[in-house]
Amino acid sequence: MSAWDIIKTIIFGGSTLVFFFILWFYNPFKHVEHYEVDEEVKGIIANPWKKTESGKTIAEEGRELFIASCSSCHSLRYDGIYLMSVQSNPKWKNIEKSAGRPIYRHGVLYKDRFFVPKDVYEAFAYEDLQNLKAALGQVPPDLSATYLARGDGYLYQFILNPQKVLPGTSMPQIFNPQYDEQAKEKVAKIVAYMKSVNVPPPKEQVKRNVMGVLVIAYFIVMGLLLWKYRTNLLKRLGYY
Amino acid sequence: MGLIEKVIDWIDERAHVKDIYRTQMVEYKVPKNLTFPYVFGVLALVTFAIQIISGMVLILYYKPSIADAFDSATYTIMGEIPFGWLFRHIHAAGANFFMAIVYLHMFTGIYYNAYKRPRELVWIVGWLIYFVLILTALSGYLLPWGQLSYWGFIVTTEIPGSLADAPILRDIFKAIAETIVLWMKGGYIVTDVTLGRVFGSHVLIYPLILLALVGIHLYLVRAAGISNPEGIEYDKKKNPDKFVPFHPYVTLKEGAYVMWYLAVFFFFVFFHMGHFLPADNFEPANPLKTPPHIAPEWYLLGFYEVFRSIPSKFWGFVAFNALLIFLLILPLLDWSPLKSARRRPLFFVAFVVFMISSMVLTILGTMEPTPMNAKLGLIFSFLVFGFFLSLPIISFIEYGWYKAKGGKQQ
Repeated sequence: MSAWDIIKTIIFGGSTLVFFFILWFYNPFKHVEHYEVDEEVKGIIANPWKKTESGKTIAEEGRELFIASCSSCHSLRYDGIYLMSVQSNPKWKNIEKSAGRPIYRHGVLYKDRFFVPKDVYEAFAYEDLQNLKAALGQVPPDLSATYLARGDGYLYQFILNPQKVLPGTSMPQIFNPQYDEQAKEKVAKIVAYMKSVNVPPPKEQVKRNVMGVLVIAYFIVMGLLLWKYRTNLLKRLGYY
Repeated sequence: MGLIEKVIDWIDERAHVKDIYRTQMVEYKVPKNLTFPYVFGVLALVTFAIQIISGMVLILYYKPSIADAFDSATYTIMGEIPFGWLFRHIHAAGANFFMAIVYLHMFTGIYYNAYKRPRELVWIVGWLIYFVLILTALSGYLLPWGQLSYWGFIVTTEIPGSLADAPILRDIFKAIAETIVLWMKGGYIVTDVTLGRVFGSHVLIYPLILLALVGIHLYLVRAAGISNPEGIEYDKKKNPDKFVPFHPYVTLKEGAYVMWYLAVFFFFVFFHMGHFLPADNFEPANPLKTPPHIAPEWYLLGFYEVFRSIPSKFWGFVAFNALLIFLLILPLLDWSPLKSARRRPLFFVAFVVFMISSMVLTILGTMEPTPMNAKLGLIFSFLVFGFFLSLPIISFIEYGWYKAKGGKQQ
């Protein structure tokens, strides 16, 4: 390779790599809002599947908190949580059984939670949702995949102080650190619960990582073997 | 004789595969000095295969209705179905890789002037593939029914509506614009019907057209022969030392490259999906709530930035369509018989300017539309246009030099 070839390789290869690095890894030119989780509760959100002193996992505690504090306005259909007013309706159980199916997520079956299609749920809960809309200005969103859309920092800060993050929102401040010592912890547990619904559990994640490493290693090794085979073959054929 | 040979003989007796193998693989000769970028063609083919196979799995679980689309993608495929996540990751990463590889393939073609005689048809069919690929990508992007999908689709389908801002014949242009927008959207608003139509075209119509075009493209490459990085057309019979058999010389080399490409691809699939399944798209589509920053996917940002930085909507629309048309008529613009940037210093400089400007335009497209960015966008749009419009002149000058040297190939 001549010096000119090396310069060309650097120009074309380098600019291509930089270009895709900016697009696919880190774009320093793009403005992104950043929200941080408070240091003292980071551990809670980091692993929602950890057992607490009460013998339940953080995610389970977060689920109870979610049902108690959030489900009067928000549903979380991917884990079988619907509006409180809907779930207290005796007819709802029949709808869950006939139109829904038990929640099955990452290999775990939850027999007592049901996934009901969106249109069926919204038709059944039409009046409840309209009442909420009349009171709050809009229908409070379903929070099934909100964790994936917003990330833990945003959710944590938003639940802790909605007006600060999104001025003018109709979301009330349920957990106020001024009056409730455990407010931050509770919010973190709720965020951890929302994470547990959308992110594969550690066991599954380990499986995926091992699978990924094996697949990548397989292709690298196969490439090397092919290259070696080619070199030997071409030497024998006199092409090299 | 082993079992495998027996099976091959059995097939050969009936299908004559050994003849095809000998004539099409071993006796088929390609230039000996093919460089690394020539691999992008086969990588594009591999990615196309990946997309078709992973799409076949996704289509089994995806539901094309606005009530179920988001849930079937985010709940059913990502959680309920074993390895559904893997196929969605592969399909999403594959779409981005496909566009990336096709762009690299196109830039390679421009660099080595692979669009010149006798390969004009290869280039034109390749352009058609690129165009259908954009349509496929746009239609596929709507299917997860997230906020980005929904609003991205609306913005894209309403871009032809800028024709209504024409300085003259406004009524006629407006009628044309409305018709195009209605065709693309399938109605005045994006509803269930639109989603069904887009789904149908994404999973059946566009892939079929693509398959046919890719077949024609491959046939044309075989018919016209692979271009030479030196830009010199050697005769296979007169200069046999310049050629090597396709198999095993090229197949094994590109086979190894394909393996390493797949290693990179699966790194993204398993460990780095954040940019291919963007977070904003995990919010279900909401027609009542417009997100603050809507931009097309990265592979259209260059065109989008040209459109955005030109103050008039109409001329912006004309400009980015002109870019597409310029790409199509490259063989006409660059008319001289000289080939390959290796032998064309002026063209080399123009190409580098063109490549850098298109990258900068794409990156500017990811930024917010400030006046400063609009000015930069305008400058780099001019550079991109400058590349295409200067090609006839560059051809003229370089052809003059070539003639002055006596018109020899080397």
